[in-house]
Amino acid sequence: MAEAAALAEQLPRHAYVINLHSDRYRYLRAFCAAVIAGQCTLMPPNRLAHTLSQLAETYPDSYVIGEDGDEPPISGVAGSAIPAIDPEQLCAIAFTSGSTGVPKPNKKYWRTLEEGAKGNARLLLGSDIGELNMVATVPAQHMWGMEMSIMLPLFAPVAISDKTPFFPQDIADAINELPAPVALVSSPIHLEALLRSGVKPNRLDRIFTATAPLSRKLAINLETTFAARVQDVFGCSESGILATRNPSTEDLWNYADFFDLDATQEGIRIRANHLPEDVLMPDIVELVGDRQYRWLGRHADMVNIAGKRGSLADINNRLRELDGVVDGVIFARDEQAEHLAGLVVAPGMDVSDILRQLKNRIEPVFLPRPIYKVDMLPRQETGKIAVKAVMDMFNQIRASKAN
Amino acid sequence: MAAQTENEKALAALIIETLNLEDVAPDDIDPEEPLFGDGLGLDSIDALELALAITQKYAIQLKAEDANTHKAFGTLRTLNAYIEDNSG
Repeated sequence: MAEAAALAEQLPRHAYVINLHSDRYRYLRAFCAAVIAGQCTLMPPNRLAHTLSQLAETYPDSYVIGEDGDEPPISGVAGSAIPAIDPEQLCAIAFTSGSTGVPKPNKKYWRTLEEGAKGNARLLLGSDIGELNMVATVPAQHMWGMEMSIMLPLFAPVAISDKTPFFPQDIADAINELPAPVALVSSPIHLEALLRSGVKPNRLDRIFTATAPLSRKLAINLETTFAARVQDVFGCSESGILATRNPSTEDLWNYADFFDLDATQEGIRIRANHLPEDVLMPDIVELVGDRQYRWLGRHADMVNIAGKRGSLADINNRLRELDGVVDGVIFARDEQAEHLAGLVVAPGMDVSDILRQLKNRIEPVFLPRPIYKVDMLPRQETGKIAVKAVMDMFNQIRASKAN
Repeated sequence: MAAQTENEKALAALIIETLNLEDVAPDDIDPEEPLFGDGLGLDSIDALELALAITQKYAIQLKAEDANTHKAFGTLRTLNAYIEDNSG
């Protein structure tokens, strides 16, 4: 905290800061410094140049920190208490991809972050909190990473590793650096990779997973292989962490007592004292009893690839904006397919040209694979595209290529 | 395009087979072109799948310092060099 206060003095004077630190300690330090300096941290959904420049255009009074490492070195000065912060101070904005083509802002005031962190500690750690040492595979720039690896350590007896491991061996190495008890904060795709690799950390006590529901099979496998307690966590950028369950035994999610959920015409409305306004859940769920729900799926526009949430409308807008693209559609094939697929009308362009341009605007995981060129999309008279017609066209092309 | 060595060609074939890359032949992968993001355009799902395939075939574990430096396994050439350096 002393380092953060010192850094706060040195920050450029702007209202907004885009924190791109990949070292978690530096992210935390810069985030705290920004809060002390009264600056709001913007959390872009990805690091693409296009996204960052779009963000800078929307928030011209901003600067980037953490890209070229020109910051004071870590001095290892002993910590001091968290200073008092105005609960109504806007500390962060988390962006989610919206159907309008411009990322949707979700404002996080200090009281939302602080009360959320304390609530999360109660929800996830319960009363058996001794000290917990944690490593996360998710970046701090993502809300799951922000809540667990930045805010939680500020308000609970949790110490967080500065590493953001990616490959299974990296994850095991990072865990092995920590004293017991150790927790891993991750997502299904990394956990599955860890299991399949055969790599085992020396010890693992708890696993917290989020960004997509963990399958029962994977959960049981994790518990057996690592002798760790696994908790599946449900949250969204709009509300923060909302619910938890034991994925090896439970289908239903248990949501925290500081949230009220109600079914309305437009969907499930989430209300809580620490949220500045009510939010609508981006998922389709069925409320059960007092404090539980069953997850049924995402709203039609939303996709989840490798734990990243995207809006199909947004992705399609970006496709159709490209020079040379007359028409096109990117869609989700089925639950089994790992990637989205696409059909595009772009006379005079190669598929590789299309993808090259698209790469500047959407994240690698959302790139359609495969994408086929067609003469015309199957649009109805109203101009709408029928899902079935698109799938049929796609499958036909795919089948003919296989022959 | 730079010429591929025998090992690089074998690695290219492994990448294509593991990731089900349609319409790409091993010869098409320029050994000095980026694999992730630009160039071949692989993503994080691919990185994890590929790491597993490499573990299964070459009995080594890929390592990177953090999610950003896994791009250090940037090209076919550097990835192959890593495997050669760490095998046997």
